[in-house]
Amino acid sequence: MATKHAEVISATTCLICGTNNPPDGLLCEECDAPMAIVQDAVAQERRPKIVSVIGESNVGKTVYLGFLLDMLSQRAGDFEAVPKGAYSIDLQQSVISHMARRQFPPKTPMEVDQWYWAYYLVRRRQPKADWVDLVMPDMAGESLAAEVAAPKTFRVIHNLLNKSVGMLLLLDAALAANGSTQPDFFGMKMLSYIDGISTAKGRNRIETPIAVLLCKADHCPECFDDPMEFVKANINRTWNLCESRFENVAFFATSVVGSLGYAVSQDQEYVTPIPLHTALRGVIEPFEWIVDQT
Amino acid sequence: MLHLFARKAHTKPEQSPRRRLPVTAQTAFDPAEPTQLYSDPLQRCLQLERYGHLLANRRKWKDHPDCHNVCSTARERIDEMFAIVPEGFASLPQVINDEPGCEEITIETGSFLLARHQVTNARFQKFVDAGGYKLLELWPKEIWPHLIDFVDATNHQGPRYWRGGRHCKTLADHPVVGICFYEAAAYARWAGFRLPTEAEWQMAATWRIRSAANVLRRYPWGDSLDTYRCNIWSSGMRRTAPVHEFPDGAAPNQILQLVGNVWEWTACQFEVSDGEGGSVLSDMRMSAIRGGAFDTYFPLQATGFFRTGLVSLAREQNVGFRCALDVRKPKP
Repeated sequence: MATKHAEVISATTCLICGTNNPPDGLLCEECDAPMAIVQDAVAQERRPKIVSVIGESNVGKTVYLGFLLDMLSQRAGDFEAVPKGAYSIDLQQSVISHMARRQFPPKTPMEVDQWYWAYYLVRRRQPKADWVDLVMPDMAGESLAAEVAAPKTFRVIHNLLNKSVGMLLLLDAALAANGSTQPDFFGMKMLSYIDGISTAKGRNRIETPIAVLLCKADHCPECFDDPMEFVKANINRTWNLCESRFENVAFFATSVVGSLGYAVSQDQEYVTPIPLHTALRGVIEPFEWIVDQT
Repeated sequence: MLHLFARKAHTKPEQSPRRRLPVTAQTAFDPAEPTQLYSDPLQRCLQLERYGHLLANRRKWKDHPDCHNVCSTARERIDEMFAIVPEGFASLPQVINDEPGCEEITIETGSFLLARHQVTNARFQKFVDAGGYKLLELWPKEIWPHLIDFVDATNHQGPRYWRGGRHCKTLADHPVVGICFYEAAAYARWAGFRLPTEAEWQMAATWRIRSAANVLRRYPWGDSLDTYRCNIWSSGMRRTAPVHEFPDGAAPNQILQLVGNVWEWTACQFEVSDGEGGSVLSDMRMSAIRGGAFDTYFPLQATGFFRTGLVSLAREQNVGFRCALDVRKPKP
């Protein structure tokens, strides 16, 4: 079972930014991370590992993370997962209840104190497999973009990515397949930001595992045939940067929505996307890869 | 003489009826052997399992010495392949979220024949081998420019996940997938059958016959979800199963896998409103698909009455089809 971590975790020190907080604080005074995570980590007597899900606005980070957590709690794949604290379940509940009603969940607000955080104990379903503590925040795409454009605007993002043991970088495959360069440029920006905050300098390549997920792959099923070839062909700048600076990168295709419709308002002014039904594909595999790497 | 009401016994293991099918890894692609087609056109129709076509055109072959025997065999095969769905009715919600009191259209359905199984890779192979993709009369004119896109992984005409125009031998009895609505409709027309309408499909799955009780089933086998009786995400297979599996999930007339395994194309266009007066549209025409698939996460989306649609040209790994046939009315 759990092995005791040598490092003593203080119940008042934020795990993300290291700030000392008053004992009754709900959120970190410096970075707004929930102190409940620290208290749960203290109870586990070990420092959790942080896995970050990053990607631009509307790429589907919340939906991906919500389904991933729900699948883990249903013992999908080779893993089992136990949520720590009710706050860890809020994200999956929101995503699952919205998607079951054929609605996408609301956009994640930019304010850090409004983000969902999930703290899970995860392990392979094997006898004597060790539990791994994972913290996965649902960051807003706009906040990520703002931090990448002007570093330290969102200190919490800087600290989170700096402390992450693995990252899931979500890129919009549907946009890329349609010839848009937006996913490519966003991927480059994000990776160069990670490169900038990394301690690996000069010729040393960054060893933090990064799973590049081609989201909305149901729009371009060829992604599933060979995700790496798809990235080389359609998101080539990001591919080159990965090759030059990152040691441990893997490519995956993923989709959650089986069919997408659009509700057009009577005055034809608003168009609302509607997930007509779900068809999960490639959700758990990138996560399994990340956990195996950490 | 057709024995369509007779219950057919399914072969199932005696010792553990509630077994889970094993989750097996995808094996290497092993192409099915090419079919040597008979030169005699009548025998070839029988070989290709075009039973509906054969019977519909039997006058054409009335002078053929084997006509009587071949037609008898075709009748027997239809009897084996299809089950009768009695007349009944289906209520189709007209809004995207089917909530109590929402607008519905009730459609009466006459009795008809519905295939006991989804069309398999092996059956669809016969259509490909017979040059079905080249027979323009099977395809609506507006789709002719798209026919060159209906190719497999190696650019041969055929379902998307085949190679070299052949299916994988190990998947011969799995439902054919990677085919769009038009390919499903062309196969059905070629074989002398048709696709079921949405209302017919729903009637078969919910078994809503005219009776004093006026009840409908949520699933073909009853009202409770049982993941041992179907192949949806929570059943744990995560891929298609052979079409004869899940015998405990059969409808009362022994039609299998109406829920789960793969979605099924129907003959109808998918049209609903958003509940606030607006329409739900897509980039292209959408056809109604029914029944859920192995990757359907929410059980409520794999019931007999859940309505959804898919772009008619989509060739997905989780969508197949089954055929229907009109019941021939006896002559007065």
